[in-house]
Amino acid sequence: MIVSFKVNGRQVDLDIDPRKRLLDVLHDDLQLISVKEGCGEGECGACTVLFDGQNVNSCLVPAFQADGHEIVTLEGLKKWPGFSTIERAYLEHGAVQCAYCLSGFVVSTVAYLKNQTEQTVNEDQVKYALAGNLCRCTGYTKIVEAVKDLAEHEKLKELFAEDWPYER
Amino acid sequence: MKDEIIVRRPQNLTELDQILLENGNSWTFVAGGTDLLVQKQVWQRATHVIDLTSVTELHQQVEVLPDKVRIGAAVPYTKIIKHPFIKENFPILCEACRQIGSIQIQNRGTIGGNIANASPAGDTLPVLSALDAEVLLGPRQNGTFTHFKPSEIMAGPGQTRLKQNQYIAFVELPLPAKEGQFWAFRKIGQRQAMAISKLSLAVLGWMDDLLTIKEIRIATGSVAPVIQRHAKTEALLNGQTLTEALIEKAAEALKNEISPISDIRSNATYRRETTANVLKDVLYELLMEKKK
Repeated sequence: MIVSFKVNGRQVDLDIDPRKRLLDVLHDDLQLISVKEGCGEGECGACTVLFDGQNVNSCLVPAFQADGHEIVTLEGLKKWPGFSTIERAYLEHGAVQCAYCLSGFVVSTVAYLKNQTEQTVNEDQVKYALAGNLCRCTGYTKIVEAVKDLAEHEKLKELFAEDWPYER
Repeated sequence: MKDEIIVRRPQNLTELDQILLENGNSWTFVAGGTDLLVQKQVWQRATHVIDLTSVTELHQQVEVLPDKVRIGAAVPYTKIIKHPFIKENFPILCEACRQIGSIQIQNRGTIGGNIANASPAGDTLPVLSALDAEVLLGPRQNGTFTHFKPSEIMAGPGQTRLKQNQYIAFVELPLPAKEGQFWAFRKIGQRQAMAISKLSLAVLGWMDDLLTIKEIRIATGSVAPVIQRHAKTEALLNGQTLTEALIEKAAEALKNEISPISDIRSNATYRRETTANVLKDVLYELLMEKKK
């Protein structure tokens, strides 16, 4: 069946097997290899992408549901001016080791920073926002610290408002 | 392989009902997919699939009516959590939705899916039961939906009484009185996020200033094969003044009233003790708060 949707700002029209997951289409057909399969059942978050600006497990989304919607993967986030700030925070905090989980974490981080409404930032909120992503190397502390720093980054908030290149 | 599956994405309820009434296919419904795509065999075997997220009324609609709210069965949890009217009037439902899976799951998962999947561990189910929810099933017959209570739909773990090609359209929640209201939703699991409940408890009630319980509703999840309300424990508390002695009696009553199962996540003894303790905890907290 034909599905048409936007990926990282680009319109794509594909003829897909309707049983394919969004993960399969992004990783295999579109070669967006930041979208990784971990558990394949929505537990680990390695396949996290933005679906209309919200983070979802692409292993649990039938690809045809993307029809008419906007998907953003890590490849797309790299084109956004705020990305380098996020990259730097993860590196400076030593929040990166083997990095299999990293693209999923970064996508969830962006979703959290973009959608957060609370005025003050605390550790519980950050942990809650990232609870759908598993990491087996870092022990989480460094990731949580990095994201807490980012949540207090004023410039980043402005960037979401001004320079977000995707819909919603 | 490629064309062995037919997918329909109706735009509205009329289109959806038309598809279901026009031919003899057996349709598989998908909304958020967060349960269905994990059940790989069911998903791989489906030959006729209807996507409920394309149906505007089911995926988008939260309708505030004079004495109730009507939520589209395919509205994602996140939208429910953020909805100002639901937040204001049904905080217990928001709390249950907030404790489901992870943000990723909440962004796709739906109440309709929670009901249709009929897991005893479905986190919204005891809350829907405590809220006296009505579930509206389609396709419509002569323009009207079939009404059911959530507990009537669930037949056992993973089993519903939904007929072939019957779908969950809406969940209606009667507006609970605000005055003197107290509520709690508690979930016990391996860890806070993602864990499937070992047990969950929903309590909704009303109390006056003299600590007399006017009405209390108690429902549990994960404890028995189906979601249950506990009428005996409720009756013991209704009309009584909340005291430490009454709380202890209620916990004992609940222990006797529930018939917990043993499974991979927990055993019956643990569930019996802990469910009673969680109720105790909820009621003691209420007592402390009121005595302040």
